[in-house]
Amino acid sequence: MHLNSDLIFRNLAEGIFLLDETGRITGCNAAASSFTGYYDAEIEGKQFSAIGDSQDDPIKFRYELDQAQKRKKFVVEGWKLRKDHTRYWAETSYSPVFDDTEQLVGYCVLLRDITEQKRRQFDLLESEERYRLMVEAIRDYSIFMLDPEGNVVTWNDGGTLIHGYAESEILGKHFSVFYSPADLIEEKPRKKLQLARENGSYREEGWRVKKDGSLFWASVVLTALFNDRNALIGYSKVTSDLTGRLKDEDVLRQSEALYRSLVEQVGDYGIFMLDTKGRIISWNEGARRIKGYAAEDVIGKYFSIFYPEEDILNGKPAWELKVARSSGKYEEEGWRLRKDGSRFWANIVITAVYDTEGRLSGFSKVTRDLTERKISEQALQESFDKYRQLATELSVTNTELSSVNRELEQFTAIVSHDLKEPVRTVRSFLHLMDQYVDQQKFDLLKPSIGKGILAAQRMHDLIDNLLHYSQLSKIGLQRQKLKVEEVIGEAIQNLNDAVEQSGAQIRVESTVPSIYGDRVQLVQLFQNLLANALKFTNGNAPEVEVKSWMDNGSVRFVVEDNGIGISPENLEKIFEIFRRLHFASQYPGNGVGLAVCKKVVERHRGRIWAESAKGKGASFHILLPKI
Amino acid sequence: MRTFKLAIVENDEDERFFMSEAFRTSGEFEILGEFGNGDQLTEWLYNSPPQLPELVLSDLNMPGKNGYDIIDELKATHPDIAVFATSTSSVVATREKCIRAGAKDFIAKPDIFIAYDAFVNELYQLACRYLGA
Repeated sequence: MHLNSDLIFRNLAEGIFLLDETGRITGCNAAASSFTGYYDAEIEGKQFSAIGDSQDDPIKFRYELDQAQKRKKFVVEGWKLRKDHTRYWAETSYSPVFDDTEQLVGYCVLLRDITEQKRRQFDLLESEERYRLMVEAIRDYSIFMLDPEGNVVTWNDGGTLIHGYAESEILGKHFSVFYSPADLIEEKPRKKLQLARENGSYREEGWRVKKDGSLFWASVVLTALFNDRNALIGYSKVTSDLTGRLKDEDVLRQSEALYRSLVEQVGDYGIFMLDTKGRIISWNEGARRIKGYAAEDVIGKYFSIFYPEEDILNGKPAWELKVARSSGKYEEEGWRLRKDGSRFWANIVITAVYDTEGRLSGFSKVTRDLTERKISEQALQESFDKYRQLATELSVTNTELSSVNRELEQFTAIVSHDLKEPVRTVRSFLHLMDQYVDQQKFDLLKPSIGKGILAAQRMHDLIDNLLHYSQLSKIGLQRQKLKVEEVIGEAIQNLNDAVEQSGAQIRVESTVPSIYGDRVQLVQLFQNLLANALKFTNGNAPEVEVKSWMDNGSVRFVVEDNGIGISPENLEKIFEIFRRLHFASQYPGNGVGLAVCKKVVERHRGRIWAESAKGKGASFHILLPKI
Repeated sequence: MRTFKLAIVENDEDERFFMSEAFRTSGEFEILGEFGNGDQLTEWLYNSPPQLPELVLSDLNMPGKNGYDIIDELKATHPDIAVFATSTSSVVATREKCIRAGAKDFIAKPDIFIAYDAFVNELYQLACRYLGA
């Protein structure tokens, strides 16, 4: 088979339609039928524009044919319908066909379905458009394109906000308008384009100028753009305004510097940092003043140098860090050492310091010297103690004064009652005698004179006894170690006459060898008790027993007799001064003896009391402290 | 004219002698008993005498039971007997102490015991006031 034109026409993979000179279809090949759905038999004789066109447009079709005739080729693109009404993007290429006489005989139409191709192109366009819109909408960054010479060819909202220029103002201008005069003198814009060209891109931070002349701190990325033939087609430039960040950093830096200088200058507190191992890494003025070390003496050393040796041997510094690490803080007061070895009383707080990720980065240690405060506290305490002691002494003195005052009152009462009585008696008898003399009754004078003398004698005795009694309070005690037997023996010796006259039996049974006290007063005490025992009898020979023993840490004395005894209601009264239970005619006395006994015992910080059963004698009990 | 039945308690014999002389001379008092101290008075009262005194004149300072003891005791045993206290003391506190203890009144003794006339007169006035004329 020969390769002829008809054979080629029928087998060509491209869809071909043949039209007559008026545009009617005279035939189509198989490829054309297969993608349009039409067979040549059903479309022969129809206008080409009538098949597949969404709307039959004879005017446009005529124009296309005319153009094809004129230009020898004419291509149009547009939507066409298949026989099944599905749409496809068609490229229609008209070629006029001339016979040998140059007469137009028809047209050959090449129809191609380029839907896929078109879609790819369309998507690309769409994505480029999206990208453009996105760039234009970005406000935080100025993003624009420069041509190879550096003139601005695109602009976005970020550029307007950051640089201050509207798109219309800046397009076509050279990007050196963004540079400061100083940068321009150094030809920075040109140098930077060159750098970007040579290295692909160029980044920097620096001051840039806004439209209004103000400066801002810019981060700039300049990227050279090359096409597929590696020819430079321009630059992209992305700029952001870092002035705010710079300000923040600056504030932070300033505040850090301020804080550091603050800490360094604090003089009353030692403030320094330790690393995680306890080595000193910072030092301040207060630490220097308190501890005496300069920064260069201690930086890098372990903080244990401030601790007394015993603390170091006990591992206290390490333990404190351990506590601070586990509980965040360690606080205490204690002795620490200065550089010169002297001690100071410190209040310390160790605080664990963590970084932003929560890792232990070291410890801060704040030290205060409380030595002066401790000393003044101690002085205050001492002065307080002293005042308290003074107050106690005052209170004791006050009690003593009150007791002296009571004695004085008692004395007043005694003087007014007991001393006045004999004086009155003497006066009374003198007046009586005066009457007798007036009445010439001289024989009656004698008894009155005798009574007056007796009264005067009684008064003399009273005054003596009163003086003796008051002396007991005034004279200081001569305390010494005394043998009990000697004291009692001396008392008995002084009563020798009375003992002999009464025929008394006195037995002494002392288990306590010695006591402390005033010899004269204690002899007087036993002498008075024994004298009473000998005196108050029913006429029987007195039997007296003196005993002593240790009683609960005190010395107990008992003087027991077989005399008349004392009724219960009088057991306490008998110790009052000038208190007498009997008439002098019966049992002579002046009412001072037991008052003296009581006073002596009280001055020896002891106690005296009487016990008696009526008619069965009396016993006087004394408790004296051993010392 | 009314006479009061009286008991006198005074330890000093001389004083008691002049005191009772003055009461007898006045004719205003009938002396039922004279005692040296409270013990003697109590014993006498305890033995139920045929007549009880309307009033007791008692010294304060005496051996044994003294004036204060008498005031205390008679308050309980013989509340009908008016006790008048006397003493050489002219201190106000003494008088107040006696009245507080239960005595009807207190009369200071004269400077000398041969001058009891005014004392007797004063006690008579007081007795009339407290016991009725």
